[in-house]
Amino acid sequence: MIRYFLRRLGALVPVAIGVATLTFAMIHLVPGDPVVAMLGETAAPADIAEMRTRLGLDRPIAEQYTAFLTGLLKGDLGESISYRKSVSSLIAERFPATIELTMAGMLVGVLIAFPLGIVSGMKPGGAADVGAMGFAILGISIPHIYLGPLLMIVFSLDLRWLPLTGRGGLSHLVLPALTLGTALAAVIARMLRQSLISVRDSDYMRTAVSKGMSPAAALIRHGLRNAMTSVVTLLGLQTGALLTGALITEVIFSWPGIGRLLIGAIGARDYPLVEGCVLTFALTYVVVNMATDLLYAIVDPRVRLE
Amino acid sequence: MVGALALCAALGCGRPAPPPPRFLQVDIENSPTSTDPRFATDAISSRINELVFDSLVRVDRHGRFVGQLAESFERPDETHIVFHLKRGIRFSNGREMTARDVKYTYDTTINPSSMSPKRGGFAELKSIEAPDDRTIVMTTYRPYAPAMEMAMLEIVEEGTPLPRKSAAPAPAGTGPFRMVRYARDDSAWLERNPYRPFAPDAPMGIVFKIVPDPTVRALELAEGICDLAENNIEPEVLPYLISVPDLEVNESSGTTYQYLGLNFRNPLLRDPRIRRAIAYAIDRKAIAASYLRGTARVASGMLAPENWAYDGKVATYDYDPERARRLLEEAGFHADARGRRDIRFVYKTTPEGGRLAETIQAMLLRVGIEVEIRSNEWATFYGDIQKGNFDLMSSRWIGINDPNHYYLVFDSSMTPPRGLNRGAYSNPEMDSLLEQGATTIDPEQRRRIYARVQELAAEDLPYISLWWIQNVVVMNRAVRNFTPYPNGSLRSLAEVKLADDRARGTSR
Repeated sequence: MIRYFLRRLGALVPVAIGVATLTFAMIHLVPGDPVVAMLGETAAPADIAEMRTRLGLDRPIAEQYTAFLTGLLKGDLGESISYRKSVSSLIAERFPATIELTMAGMLVGVLIAFPLGIVSGMKPGGAADVGAMGFAILGISIPHIYLGPLLMIVFSLDLRWLPLTGRGGLSHLVLPALTLGTALAAVIARMLRQSLISVRDSDYMRTAVSKGMSPAAALIRHGLRNAMTSVVTLLGLQTGALLTGALITEVIFSWPGIGRLLIGAIGARDYPLVEGCVLTFALTYVVVNMATDLLYAIVDPRVRLE
Repeated sequence: MVGALALCAALGCGRPAPPPPRFLQVDIENSPTSTDPRFATDAISSRINELVFDSLVRVDRHGRFVGQLAESFERPDETHIVFHLKRGIRFSNGREMTARDVKYTYDTTINPSSMSPKRGGFAELKSIEAPDDRTIVMTTYRPYAPAMEMAMLEIVEEGTPLPRKSAAPAPAGTGPFRMVRYARDDSAWLERNPYRPFAPDAPMGIVFKIVPDPTVRALELAEGICDLAENNIEPEVLPYLISVPDLEVNESSGTTYQYLGLNFRNPLLRDPRIRRAIAYAIDRKAIAASYLRGTARVASGMLAPENWAYDGKVATYDYDPERARRLLEEAGFHADARGRRDIRFVYKTTPEGGRLAETIQAMLLRVGIEVEIRSNEWATFYGDIQKGNFDLMSSRWIGINDPNHYYLVFDSSMTPPRGLNRGAYSNPEMDSLLEQGATTIDPEQRRRIYARVQELAAEDLPYISLWWIQNVVVMNRAVRNFTPYPNGSLRSLAEVKLADDRARGTSR
């Protein structure tokens, strides 16, 4: 297990370099100029040239890439052009907010998905199944940009239970987490339902029932454990969707996370900050999936990590 | 789920702490780029900085220059302006403002090492001197009519270092407020400058909250969290906000100018008949009434009627699709069986301008012109128009004051990167008029020059004027005395009063 863990950890390096290279290429390829964004439309050409030199943007692109990569390997993500602060410190300031939102979204997703998936899987085709799967389809179909304001209207404006926007206590987290977690809940619920249906007629389930266990108890005690492997895989894979969903959710709820930082950085063509944010998202995704693999061994004793 | 939410509310997960009593909350769409007036160029920074800092002069509601830090000013000759400063003006830290502060602010802005984006605006300024504590002498290289615009730089205290970090709160100013907290992407908090008198029922401070989503801004207004929002509410939600009893929607004449820019590098667009055909094919009145829900006035040119140099006696191109078709026929572009002609343009826009682009696309198709819309986020769009990579593009100018703006956008020497003539328009008569306009000091003579400039611009059509966007302020009825400026300035926030109930924070 430790060898496996170290090997996966080692694989992070080429992934980081690959993502960094792709991000570097893409942000430099799209039109737009950070210096013009900084100095404005009427800046004197001499000032533009001077600023280019200061920022190192006058150097050949290969040289800029080498400098960026060398800095990255030393753990230095550079300085943000628009904030004039180190990218690492900006990400360190904002990352907790994004992680808080993503984790809360995942928790909401799981809390909604499990009862729905189990109810559906126990009696496929029944009224509860139809209702739960209807909800799941609705959950997948509603975009965050619509669901967020809808929840605000109901729970903040009409019922006056929760705050509209911003980051604060638990109350501030509820609506963004619901917005983010609903689509995930829908996906997990469908997956769980399918897994439970497929294990329902298994020999070990029949054995459990013939030994006197109620079908519902057998499904929850034995069937659910088997279904967990696919749910855990899905949770890992859905981290990417949650992180990208967080971009939009952060804007809607004025949530001060990396998503808003990234959107602003793209607009300002703040190359180092865009690269830092994308790299953070990518590494988070890879680390979460690595953790997912490790979780397999815990939820399914048949899995050995070598 | 609903039960859990109710539980959360019942257990006191709590509503957000509102701003302190007698503080106003104003929602803005993004963060100010700089809290130091020597660097701030965007509209949002200007709106906030105007409340924290003063400049030698300001523009009043009629677009005229009036003294702010200057008690009086005069032009002894064509290259000098002398400002006599008011006495007893104090910075928010208690120090009295003198001419040394003014000179220091200008020197640190103009110094090449500052790399201030505002430096370009002072290219005509030869020197700024402070012969004594109450006098400032501004000297220009040549007779330069728009020189007064250079007197609008907001003043910081002598010794204020250049900002190193863009998220630092603003330095001390002499304005009615001082900035006490600034968190980028979150909020900027202003409190009263203790050295400036204010009425007992005036707000003690203002929280500018950054709310990027337009729907959320509308909801915050409806909820009573936000007290005021200006020019950042979408027209389609205005009817809803008008129906909220606590809210008041105030529309007033604005000077923000929306236009359709044409690229003269495209040989088809060099033909005036095609440019005029496009102008006649766009039903601007209908778009202003429906798409913009009446929050715009059809424009005749860049200068709004509120500007002293405005001249409305120009070609206006009222909607006339038949005439547009005739002009296209004359230009040799005949319609096929489907009414299409062999003309196709690329229209560059941002996602926000997408619906307008689609409307114009449909109107041009009616006369046989095909338009392909390419919508990109702002930085890409901006990169494209700077490079002249478009046929048609739509954008707006905010806060035009001096008519010398025509020089930046229509003089043939001002193609990017030097200036803003993105469509590479060139007319020797226009160049000559713009040079005269910049160097003629006499206002009456200047007015005549710019009348011809406006006439020529309407004939040549480097821009097809669309509309001047109205200033739309949505505010809580508890906020009294707010009077908008045509250029969108929020300076009136310093003079507003709060109704008693709101002052105690009970309306939330």
